[in-house]
Amino acid sequence: MRIKIRYESAFEYPEAVRESHNVLRACPADDEHQTVHRYEVHVAPTGRIQSYRDYWGTRVDSFGIRRPHGSLVVSAEADVTTGERPAPKPGAPMSRYGSDAVVLGHHSYLQRSPHADWSEDLGDEARDTIGGLDTAVEAVVALHDHVADVIDYAPGATYVGMDVNDVRRRRKGVCQDFAHLAIAMYRSAGIPARYVSGYLYAADQTVAVAPEIAEIINATHAWVEAFVPGFGWWGIDPTNPTPVGELHVKIGHGRDYDDVMPLRGVYHGPADHKLGVSVTMSREQLSQAQSQQQQ
Amino acid sequence: MLDSRAGIETQFSEVYGADGVYPHYKALMARLEVLGEDDLAHRSRLLESIFRSLGITFGLSGDEEGRERTWPMDLVPRIIPPGEWAHVEAGLVQRVRALNLFLDDLYVGEQAVLNDGIVPRWIVESAAGYMREAYGVPAPLGSRCVVAGIDIVRDGQGVYRVLEDNLRVPSGISYVLENRVAMTRVLPLAFEHHRVRPVNHYGSSLLAALRAISPTAAAGEPTIVVLTPGVANSAYFEHAFLARQMGVELVEGRDLIVDDHVVFMRTTRGLQRVDVIYRRLNDEFLDPVVFRSDSLLGVPGLVAAARAGNVSIANAIGNGAADDKGVYPFVPDLISFYLGEEAVLPNVTTYLPWEPDQRQVIMDRLDRLVFKPVAEAGGYGIVIGPTASDETLAATAAAIEADPRGFIAQEVVQLSTHPTAFDGRLSPRHIDLRPFVLSGEDIEVIPGGLTRVALPEGSLIVNSSQGGGSKDTWVLEGDAT
Amino acid sequence: MLSRHAEALFWFGRYLERAEDTSRMLDVTYHNLLESPPTEEAAAWHELLEVLFVDQAFGGRRLDAPGVTHYLVTDADNPGSIVCSVGRARENAFGVRDRISTELWEAINQFHLDLQSWDVAGDLERQPYGVFRTVRNRCQMIAGVASQTMPRDDGYRFILLGLMLERAEMACRLLAVRYARLLHAGRPMSFQAWLAVLKSVSAYEAYLKSHDASFDPTRVLEFLLLSPSFPRSVLFSLRVAEAQLDRLAGAEDGAHLIRLMGRVRARAEFCDIDDVLVTGLDQFLESLQGEIYDVAQLVDRYFFRAGTDLELHAYQAT
Repeated sequence: MRIKIRYESAFEYPEAVRESHNVLRACPADDEHQTVHRYEVHVAPTGRIQSYRDYWGTRVDSFGIRRPHGSLVVSAEADVTTGERPAPKPGAPMSRYGSDAVVLGHHSYLQRSPHADWSEDLGDEARDTIGGLDTAVEAVVALHDHVADVIDYAPGATYVGMDVNDVRRRRKGVCQDFAHLAIAMYRSAGIPARYVSGYLYAADQTVAVAPEIAEIINATHAWVEAFVPGFGWWGIDPTNPTPVGELHVKIGHGRDYDDVMPLRGVYHGPADHKLGVSVTMSREQLSQAQSQQQQ
Repeated sequence: MLDSRAGIETQFSEVYGADGVYPHYKALMARLEVLGEDDLAHRSRLLESIFRSLGITFGLSGDEEGRERTWPMDLVPRIIPPGEWAHVEAGLVQRVRALNLFLDDLYVGEQAVLNDGIVPRWIVESAAGYMREAYGVPAPLGSRCVVAGIDIVRDGQGVYRVLEDNLRVPSGISYVLENRVAMTRVLPLAFEHHRVRPVNHYGSSLLAALRAISPTAAAGEPTIVVLTPGVANSAYFEHAFLARQMGVELVEGRDLIVDDHVVFMRTTRGLQRVDVIYRRLNDEFLDPVVFRSDSLLGVPGLVAAARAGNVSIANAIGNGAADDKGVYPFVPDLISFYLGEEAVLPNVTTYLPWEPDQRQVIMDRLDRLVFKPVAEAGGYGIVIGPTASDETLAATAAAIEADPRGFIAQEVVQLSTHPTAFDGRLSPRHIDLRPFVLSGEDIEVIPGGLTRVALPEGSLIVNSSQGGGSKDTWVLEGDAT
Repeated sequence: MLSRHAEALFWFGRYLERAEDTSRMLDVTYHNLLESPPTEEAAAWHELLEVLFVDQAFGGRRLDAPGVTHYLVTDADNPGSIVCSVGRARENAFGVRDRISTELWEAINQFHLDLQSWDVAGDLERQPYGVFRTVRNRCQMIAGVASQTMPRDDGYRFILLGLMLERAEMACRLLAVRYARLLHAGRPMSFQAWLAVLKSVSAYEAYLKSHDASFDPTRVLEFLLLSPSFPRSVLFSLRVAEAQLDRLAGAEDGAHLIRLMGRVRARAEFCDIDDVLVTGLDQFLESLQGEIYDVAQLVDRYFFRAGTDLELHAYQAT
């Protein structure tokens, strides 16, 4: 599916900001199942942008603005083709998770991280959930379903960085919370898991179908990749019942939100600011030549 | 069993061998004998008053009120003969060369060392000092450890062994230089009978190394600064000292700004471009844009400027990946992997509990070994087998069984002893050595280094913050043979 | 030089001068009151506090000699007290220890340590004049050490700039205290009172060399305000400050600062003292003070701040 994406963060400050430094991670990943045709970043007021791939392979755009400004608009436009992502077949037994290849090969995705720091109780809950299951795929699915069941999607109920154990107790959250809770539970049960930042082509983050309308406005999305022995990383979305595939546009992955947060920075200025983040997505009409080519 | 027991009890004396005083100590010991107790005591007091009046102090760790103590220096210098030093120097150069290559491999290379399984990937990935944020940040000449402080001890047989690498912001060099100056005032005649290699070129050597790593983008003479966390830092004295020795500006984070990925310092005549930063500030405080966002000590945008190749930062960001406790056992392997050489200076014998055969050795000798948690920093959680209670040892064994990757185990190292003056009388005390190694165009070792003394009788703790003292360290001129 | 160092040196100069001037003003007030009827005491102290801009902060403390002298000399709650000013001068010197001579550091550090250990409060009760004199002497000694041991570079110029702007501003205030009382009381000052004013700024001998001992109030005022040769006159201080700024500020972007400084100095230099007395001395002094303050603000913005006066905040956006 060919999708056009426009990410925008707009800051309004009550008084002029003297200087700001910012780091943006909004570029769709180029991988086996996803191709980026075009990606452009615009900053107003303008600043020189330095682009690079970070440790995780995510494209980063870094820029500073060193003159007084009352507002800042950071926008990124991408044109990307997404494909279906294959799902693993049940095969690998649970015991494979104990092998050195998994334990040592994916060590950082088995450790606690700032946003995935589970309590004993949460670990017990995870192990109970997959107790008696034989295969890796079953276990991954069981925990996914469990998280989807125990948390209700509720924008505004949490803040980014909230402790996963609190999220679990409150039973409410947004996609970042679903993802962090799932990661924490996977890892506590010995299943390597990583956090994925991206976009979801859906009018509602919890609804599973591509929208009818041509253009939708939503927010960035987050989901999870769990490791399945003999298969690899399997994308799975606890917020949304649809399999991770054409509708999901991956930006990048990391241990948790901190490794792939879309935009962070510092500025010299007033403490207050208004920030509006929006993601606009549309399906590109295929030209005749392209559609023939696809056939 | 018996052998290892004996090993613990043997202490190597730096001065006295089986046949009496070693030749390289004869002149010094004779001189001290001539002076006599009263004179020595008097000179020790003089030494203290010199440091007090110069205001050379250090902060005591754990002192809430930030009190400072006068730098304690012992009157009796430590002497290293040329042959021994040549051996140590060769080992240090080799070790630092390999560590530089290792760090470059991790941050801008192919990570061949991990792909080939020389160091287990998980060890590096769990090192607290491994900074993924610095991945891809270049270091000119691959000189990532511009200043390294390598802690060396001598075991019961007098073998020089590396105890620890300090590759982030090692401190102590100012005391090496001040100790020498004070020594020439207090015991001038002792120098007459020795040709002691000078140390006072450190400032110009460090400056040369920093110039060498200047980014190619720098036009003409590079501007170099020393970056300090500020006067409240316990090593501020040294930061100011080094800036003065090099004749460069001592700056704080708020003096620097980044504009379009170029670093400038704010002066009364406008912004002045900065090319090389010798920082004495820990990684996590360097840049709130990529590290701790609450740090006010750093410079927003600094890491991006370094990544763009517009400024060089010394030591490089993320060197903690190489001086980590978990990586230490593999340094001899790094030397053979990168240089195809055998390590000149051995490590202290270390056991890895995650290797089943080594775990067995550990379990058999719990009361003979030292246990260090891999993830903890600053000496936390260390268990010393010979002095630990049975309960502690049992708990340690259980912890190792439960999480073998959480610990390493080492043989207890008995530090060598050296005569040390107390009220004019000499008495043996344990010592170690921290030589300083500079990586610029080439690798240079400053002759000697900081010899630290554990002042309480029998103590093995040489840290100045915990009651340790220091000695002037003399490397003698002469043929290495 | 680094902006941060320049700022510390500038404030070192200011605080040093502030400590000295505060002791001078206390001295004038204190000794004039010895010859005034006791009914005027509270009003006189209040005026002094007003001139120092601390009358609000002083609050309900005792408005008499012990109360005010304690507040202005030793009170840790008053950031402008002599003990605090010396402490701040020392703190600033510490931040630039490598930039100043060892002698200068030792001099200010020792003064600070002495003030901490010495029973200033006790001495203030027993012999206030001794305290004022000691503070003045030590400050003068420290300024002397600076001028004898510091190379004539930008660092020294910033010390001098701070010192002279503070002195000019305080000299205006000092005259304001005395003349305000004179004008309000509506009676001529006694010979003794004039003597005290002149002596308090070490100007007695210098005045006698250029004038006779008849102490015409206008001539005394003119001397303290406009003498081109007496180093504590307002004009002299402004001229020295201007000379430093000329060397410090870049020709292009510093032009605004240099122009403002020149205007202030010219306003003092070319004023007609008789006109000033007719139109109102207090207004004249007040507006001159205001302009000196503006210069200091601009110095701060131009040399020290350059756009870093705002706090650093971190943000994240999803």
